[in-house]
Amino acid sequence: MASIINTVRATVLSIANKNNYGYITPSDFNLYAKQAQLDIFEDYFYQYNSWIVKQNARVSGSEYADVIKSLVEVIDSFSVTSPIVFNSGLYPLPDDYYLVNKIFQGNTEVERVSQSKILLLNSSHLTAPSTMFPAYTAEADKITIYPVLTGTVNCQYIRYPKDPKWTYINLTQGEPLFDESPADYQDFELPLSDQVNLINKILQYAGMSIREIPLVQFAQGEEQVENTQQG
Amino acid sequence: MAYLTQYQYYENEGNNPENDNWGSYQYVSLKEIVTNFMLMYVGNDKLINNVERYNILFHAKRAIQELNYDSLKEIKILEMSVNDELRFILPDDYVNWVRISMYKNGVLFPLTENIQTNWSSAYLQDNNNKILFDEEGSVLKPEFSTVDIDRIKGSRKTIYLNEQSSYDGQEGYFYNGIWYFEYPIGGRYGLNTETANANPTFKINKKSGVINFSSDMSGELVVLEYVSDGMEGGVNADISVNKLFEEFVYAYIKFSVLSSKYGVQEYIINRSRKEKSALLRNAKIRLSNIHPGRLLMNLRGQNKWIK
Repeated sequence: MASIINTVRATVLSIANKNNYGYITPSDFNLYAKQAQLDIFEDYFYQYNSWIVKQNARVSGSEYADVIKSLVEVIDSFSVTSPIVFNSGLYPLPDDYYLVNKIFQGNTEVERVSQSKILLLNSSHLTAPSTMFPAYTAEADKITIYPVLTGTVNCQYIRYPKDPKWTYINLTQGEPLFDESPADYQDFELPLSDQVNLINKILQYAGMSIREIPLVQFAQGEEQVENTQQG
Repeated sequence: MAYLTQYQYYENEGNNPENDNWGSYQYVSLKEIVTNFMLMYVGNDKLINNVERYNILFHAKRAIQELNYDSLKEIKILEMSVNDELRFILPDDYVNWVRISMYKNGVLFPLTENIQTNWSSAYLQDNNNKILFDEEGSVLKPEFSTVDIDRIKGSRKTIYLNEQSSYDGQEGYFYNGIWYFEYPIGGRYGLNTETANANPTFKINKKSGVINFSSDMSGELVVLEYVSDGMEGGVNADISVNKLFEEFVYAYIKFSVLSSKYGVQEYIINRSRKEKSALLRNAKIRLSNIHPGRLLMNLRGQNKWIK
């Protein structure tokens, strides 16, 4: 697939320069790109919730109009399943996790329980965690599983998107030339359909940076139109 | 979970015990109930969402407990002999008794629960009937009360018509071919049918977890039929419920969750309550197994003359 990041950068520069708003350096662009991607990424989860509410109010559709399905597909593209290793009574979570969807062993899911409930749960005859119905509590980036399980425990989580990085090799006529061969090159991980959103977000950040309020307002207006169209 | 093959069912794939899977098809396991419920009744577009699994587990177990108390008729039977103190320790999973019998000479004799008490705790008292205390201020108690000692020794009389009857061994008068007694056994006041039983009697001390028997039970075999709560000593893997009640268990969980959740409309709660009650009735009827073959045996005596 063609690189999104280069298209986004070219469009951003085109809009910014066209109106003589100013030039955005590659390092600034990378910072704005990271910020914009995170912003849109977080918004998926709020959108997902919002569309569930709409679905329950019967104002969403099915088949091609099934927005929830599309959102789930996008979120699932950030899904990772990896084993977590028992260490000093705790299981450290992966560094790049955004949210833990499930902890499991084989076909048995370990249920997340709040810290305020775990003691009560352990004291209850009927609901005490067991190997059939295990539970875990989270503390910082580590979890405690009740009871202690033997064997491999896996974590399925949604990771953060990787930081986008637009890389270049040298300057040609004063312009950096895009090059995706360096090891630290990273394209946006969001789907192509979010390219417009990315451009609008980056334009807003860039506009603030070069103190061009009309640019910010232009991007905000575009974003609003986009949001209205998406319901 | 896959169904068992016939080899697994009949011979447990050559493992021990061979009979591990016999009859298992009648039951649905606790894990299956919780999993099915989470899958089918919990979700963003369902009546129930954002509910923890332990909630479902709790209500599933409560449903199974309630069923075990009466509807399921899953009666457990335990045979043990009565010890020297005429006690029978209740089984570890005992909740309530159904029938207690004495097994003697190859015959089961159903026993009667004593309408009076046959056990008591006691306090130690001095000659002036003052209660005695230890240095920590607790009342001193003897190992056995007088009621217990008399029962164990066999010197306690009972109002039942057995060997310990207060009328047993009393002198009478034989006149004109008829026996007359000072004590009117079923004569002047009529027989007290409630106590007209010659078998030994028992009384359950629930708090102490024992059945206390009358002295004529010493060394005898007791067969206790009882109900448990189906929790199988807390081993989740062993907990199951008859498939005829599966739908009821789901309805019970649904009702319990909805009725304890904030903001659920009353009509939804009522709907789930009715669903739960109807399913319980259905399951009870199914499980009652009323069919002509059984009725035939019971009704065979309907034309028998009672003299």
